[in-house]
Amino acid sequence: MTEEKVYTSHLGQIGDFLIKFFSYVIMTVFALLTIYPLIWLMINSLKPTPEFQISKLSFPASPTFANYTGAWKIGDFDKLIGNSLIYTIGTTIGVIFLSVLAGFAFAKIKRKATKPLYASFIIGLTLTTQSLMIPLFLEANLLHIYNTRFAVLLIYIGSGLPMGLYLCTEFIKSVPDSLVESSRIDGAGYFRIFLSIILPMTVPVITVLAILNITATWNEFALINILVSKTELKSLPLGINKFSGTLSSDYGKQFAALTVGMLPMLVFYLIFRKQITKGVAAGAVKG
Amino acid sequence: MNKKIIAILMVALVAFASGVFAQEKVTLNVLNYADATQAGYSDEVALWAKFQADNPDITIVKEELNNEPFHQKVATYVAAGQMPDVFYSWPGGRSTAVQKKHLAKDLSKLLPKDLLALWPAAALNPKAQDSGYLSELPRAITYTSVMYTNVKLLKDNGLAIPKTYAELKRMVPKLKAKGIIPVAMANKDTWVMQSCLFSTISGRIAGDAFIDQVLAGKAKFTDKPFVAALTFVDTLYKDGVISRDSIQTPYGDVPGIFASGKAAFLIDGDWRQAAFLTDKTSGTALISPAAQKSDFALVEFPAIPGEKNPGLISAVLGTGMSISAAIPAGSAKAKAAVKLLTWWYGKEWTTMGLETGAYIPARKDIKSDKVEPFTTMMSAYYASVPKTGYVLDGVLDAAVCTPLNDGLQQIGLGTKTPAAVASDMQAAFDTWKAAQK
Repeated sequence: MTEEKVYTSHLGQIGDFLIKFFSYVIMTVFALLTIYPLIWLMINSLKPTPEFQISKLSFPASPTFANYTGAWKIGDFDKLIGNSLIYTIGTTIGVIFLSVLAGFAFAKIKRKATKPLYASFIIGLTLTTQSLMIPLFLEANLLHIYNTRFAVLLIYIGSGLPMGLYLCTEFIKSVPDSLVESSRIDGAGYFRIFLSIILPMTVPVITVLAILNITATWNEFALINILVSKTELKSLPLGINKFSGTLSSDYGKQFAALTVGMLPMLVFYLIFRKQITKGVAAGAVKG
Repeated sequence: MNKKIIAILMVALVAFASGVFAQEKVTLNVLNYADATQAGYSDEVALWAKFQADNPDITIVKEELNNEPFHQKVATYVAAGQMPDVFYSWPGGRSTAVQKKHLAKDLSKLLPKDLLALWPAAALNPKAQDSGYLSELPRAITYTSVMYTNVKLLKDNGLAIPKTYAELKRMVPKLKAKGIIPVAMANKDTWVMQSCLFSTISGRIAGDAFIDQVLAGKAKFTDKPFVAALTFVDTLYKDGVISRDSIQTPYGDVPGIFASGKAAFLIDGDWRQAAFLTDKTSGTALISPAAQKSDFALVEFPAIPGEKNPGLISAVLGTGMSISAAIPAGSAKAKAAVKLLTWWYGKEWTTMGLETGAYIPARKDIKSDKVEPFTTMMSAYYASVPKTGYVLDGVLDAAVCTPLNDGLQQIGLGTKTPAAVASDMQAAFDTWKAAQK
């Protein structure tokens, strides 16, 4: 190896090191920008309100969980977390089940009605939640399902379907038609084809749908605010709203409530971060 | 045969008797405005539970919301024409749609006369509500401008409570030299200057009659009295009485700033006193009751040069509960709703409001020796105010108030002149007025 080549290789190593170094610096800064508010929130949730008002950046002089017990009781969080789980799990299963089935039909069963039917679902992507609020409230009243979990699940699944259908249909379209056709020639029915061929191939899009629906439903506020009035049917975001007064004086409980609301999603991300990253990447490439 | 007839008659008699004597069970849907971080919320929850326990014939289905979600839900109820049986409301402002569509009953015809007699005449004035009748009974009258004063800090610096603006202005160099903020305000939120100080300034310099004339199209915001009021805000910033840094101060920061002795005065609404009271969870207070009594005072903003209405303070009728107009008159539900409101405005509830610092009741007979000094001082402050005036966001449409709120901040930043702000407001008012036709 000549001296010049050694010098060039050395320069290359320094360059690689610098790129890595600055990449880590930038990533660390961004990570801190994300993590610091969460840590700040948790630290201040352990302070009595008067202590927080005097000193917003210090550690608590004598940490207390009184804010948590107070907020938990006032916010009825035991009920609301249960409801949030029911709505989130129910909606996610419902949207995935219906989207994959319908996506297969729209992608692989060609009929005259396929395109108009598909379009009628996809148009839902253009509708804003705000434009639906009053009609949905009226419909729920008309059907006597206002203030029921059924109404919440029905409307959550309905509002999740346009995106679910779109992703599934476009994903399943990428499965070669020849696979379906050869299976048909071999005598397999559509349901058999769906179970044996399509479903195993749609795991990436199912993961994407699950991530989208779990986070969206867990945090959803506007629709459930319109659909229920009874505390025993409300979800966690509605409970947390009770602690967000503009003229707030009890910041301790407010921070405790916000931490309670934030933790489940944080834990969800920490447990499933690999699947989330893989799923989003796979969905983005294959979809 | 006879036995059969007797048996049938007995069954019929029992059925009739049970129909007559059984209490009719009524369900009341209640929409309450609840902020769980406000003083007294836990006590409020306990009182709701007590009412439910004491009244097994009434089932309360209570919905609690606050801020925008509350107003969104009300907007949905209004659009659907299905108001809850009992609901929290404002005399105007955010409840304008409810009020103008007459979706609430007239409480002056429903609530007991002896209860209504306990309220001051100003709170019962039907003209003060957008509906033109008593669609809600204000549980309080909110004074939006109070000058919380650290008397000890003033004394330590050889100063006293100022009676005139000139006296206040003279304090500024001395306080600033010691690193003390003369007057703390949280002007990052644009409504604060308008609600907590400018409405008082406008009332003193221009007067409510002038605002009425503008609303009637007989005067303009660009006329001299209103521009003079805006110019006084400019003067406050230029004299350093209010620091331009206050525009960076969030609303939640000022109690700590004031309580820790970093500011001589705090200008805020009467509701702010709750932030200083003892926190029930920890038993600690931002300002201890002993210090509240010995070191602090609640006073009005000092006399302004050229004011027409000395001592005027901006105030607005507070919130209350309404009964849905859709409930049939004389029905069991109507009776239950009246029973609920009679209790909600009753002695136990309003005393709780006073003792927890949640609000100072408008009801005249409520007294308690369990209140902290700031609450007692606030009642005395109310009594000392010779005249109240408009809170501008209560009389101006949001379309007109927004350029005012923004303009007050722009005056503070020095990016707009008072005359330009007045001009923006007049343009917004003209556009709004034209849209009403």
